[in-house]
Amino acid sequence: MSVMRVSWGPQHPASGQMRIILDVDGDMVVNAIPSVGYTHRCIEKLAENRRYYQIVPLVERVCNLDAFNATLGYIQAVEELMGLTIPERAQHIRVMMAEMGRIMSHLYWLAIYGIMPGFLTMIMWPIGDRELFLDLAEMVTGCRVTYPYFMIGGVRADLPAGFAERATKTLNFFENRLKDYERMMYKNKIYEMRAKGIGVLKAADAINLGVVGPNLRGSGIKADTRKDEPYQAYDKFDFEIPTEERGDCDARARVRFREIQQSISIIRQALREMPEGPVQVKAPLRPPAGEVYKKIEASRGEMGFYIISDGSDKPCRLKISSPSFRNLAALPFLGRGVTMADIPVIYFSLDLFALDIDR
Amino acid sequence: MTSLIIGKIRGNRVITKIVNWARLSSLWPVHFTTGCCSPEEMALFMPRYDAERFGVLMVPSSLRQCDFLVVLGLVTNKMAKRLKLVYDQMAEPKYVMAVGACAISGGLFYDSPTVLKGIDQILPVDVYVPGCPPRPEVWIQGIRLLQEKIRKGK
Amino acid sequence: MSVETGIVEDLKSKFTDAITDASVQRQARIILTAKSEAVINVASYLKENLGFDFVVSVCGAEMPQEDLFTIIYHFWSSSKKILITLKTKVPKKAPKIQSITPVYESANWHERETHEMWGVKFIKHPDLGGLLLPEGWKDLPPQRKEFKLTG
Repeated sequence: MSVMRVSWGPQHPASGQMRIILDVDGDMVVNAIPSVGYTHRCIEKLAENRRYYQIVPLVERVCNLDAFNATLGYIQAVEELMGLTIPERAQHIRVMMAEMGRIMSHLYWLAIYGIMPGFLTMIMWPIGDRELFLDLAEMVTGCRVTYPYFMIGGVRADLPAGFAERATKTLNFFENRLKDYERMMYKNKIYEMRAKGIGVLKAADAINLGVVGPNLRGSGIKADTRKDEPYQAYDKFDFEIPTEERGDCDARARVRFREIQQSISIIRQALREMPEGPVQVKAPLRPPAGEVYKKIEASRGEMGFYIISDGSDKPCRLKISSPSFRNLAALPFLGRGVTMADIPVIYFSLDLFALDIDR
Repeated sequence: MTSLIIGKIRGNRVITKIVNWARLSSLWPVHFTTGCCSPEEMALFMPRYDAERFGVLMVPSSLRQCDFLVVLGLVTNKMAKRLKLVYDQMAEPKYVMAVGACAISGGLFYDSPTVLKGIDQILPVDVYVPGCPPRPEVWIQGIRLLQEKIRKGK
Repeated sequence: MSVETGIVEDLKSKFTDAITDASVQRQARIILTAKSEAVINVASYLKENLGFDFVVSVCGAEMPQEDLFTIIYHFWSSSKKILITLKTKVPKKAPKIQSITPVYESANWHERETHEMWGVKFIKHPDLGGLLLPEGWKDLPPQRKEFKLTG
């Protein structure tokens, strides 16, 4: 056996600012070693130098594909520390925008996952359809990608007039599009050959490695923070947690697809049952001394925020437990003993985001 | 004799104009997306904004074929070495576009110990596109500015 | 909150000396403080006997006016839906602690990051190499309070 070391990344169209060191023997991968840190910004250290409300944009850029969920996770941790009660209407709006963020993030994932086996249609369609949701987000928040909308105490402003009609129209259109996606990709023989039976992660291994999110649900384990520890108004909504049993790349992809369908249902319920009332409460500048751990189900998995406060206006410690960092352990495990051509499919089925890993 | 002919061709205004037109109409970028600006980059090359109509084709092939380096997002000190390596590999004439507040000055991470405070510390930048992240329309204006610069022969 | 109280009582009776403080913060949140040499035993007990199957994170912290680093472990039980925060203190001069990677494989990368950011040595860890910082980082571990930000 003669082993050659190949470096995939960090400057590469597909590696996403992460380097994967592949030890290959011919076409077979002997070892896949992730090398990270190319986007490390020391956000946890910077947070100690900023006031609580100034940390929101920092946290947003930890995982900005899923900006709504990332900021919501941090904000609700601070609100628990401060003992604030958020108005019902604000909670409903937050759930609705968070689910919209989940759809946007999953569409971006689908685009990248689609292009890697060489499927050009599946990068054009999802990114094009994602623009419709960016338009909705822009209608509410004024921005396309990073949003100054969630704040400590609620949301910055109420929904604009005409939002419900526009959102319903978008959801109706998009729900039809999902049928096209299913036909084009999930029922495509070539895609099935590349993703079914590849990168199998059994349930016991998934728990051992500590993976979270759709990767865990793709191995048959029904774990989702929205049901395990409901936050905001999630306990008032009726939705399922999709799981698949096979644990291969296709299973993880199907979980994300079905999550998009569940998110559409949650947004529809939120629009129908939106309560009246204020959208924000006044928040103090300084929380009391203490600590809090609060987690949220971001699109990549469970994201946790641990804050230690010493009673001042800046946190003593902020620890962000990011889902991609926890999912990273699955890559060397699944990358052993596969061919080089399988590595992109496995890598993208795990939905690892370098900014999320490095923080 | 050959060098005399080449010198005459280079000096000819009409030929220079044609060459510049060809260059600005088919600018191929090197993909160097480091940060949170990546969704906007995706949006730029996809159906709605379609940068390809300006000749900017996202070709995932060799660096040596590309014309300009788009540095999109923050560059850490760990990545800076690789950025310089990528820049050195590109063939002349080459241009650099700094997109996003982090590439211009370090942006939101102005006090981070690991972030390079602006890529103009290590590379000569031709166009700066501000924003966090910049909208695709602003970016297209940046591409037009670069094309204008090439047209004027800078 | 009877499940949480039951867990606290169980741990207090099993580790009378090792666990110096144990309390229920609120529903599904337990905070323990243990001596650093006992952390590996507490972690094993949590995994094998109490069903805490996930390590959520391992991180460091520095409280003001203390000559110690606090190392904080978070464990989650997927069956009980409870989070345990386990804290321990190590001296700043020579911070070291037994690694829990032999018990929890998923603690590997978390301990590696804590080593890099705080300079804590995890004994019997399989590979404490560099992770996030640039190669050849010679300065102080950046998360320590004595490392000052510039800008």
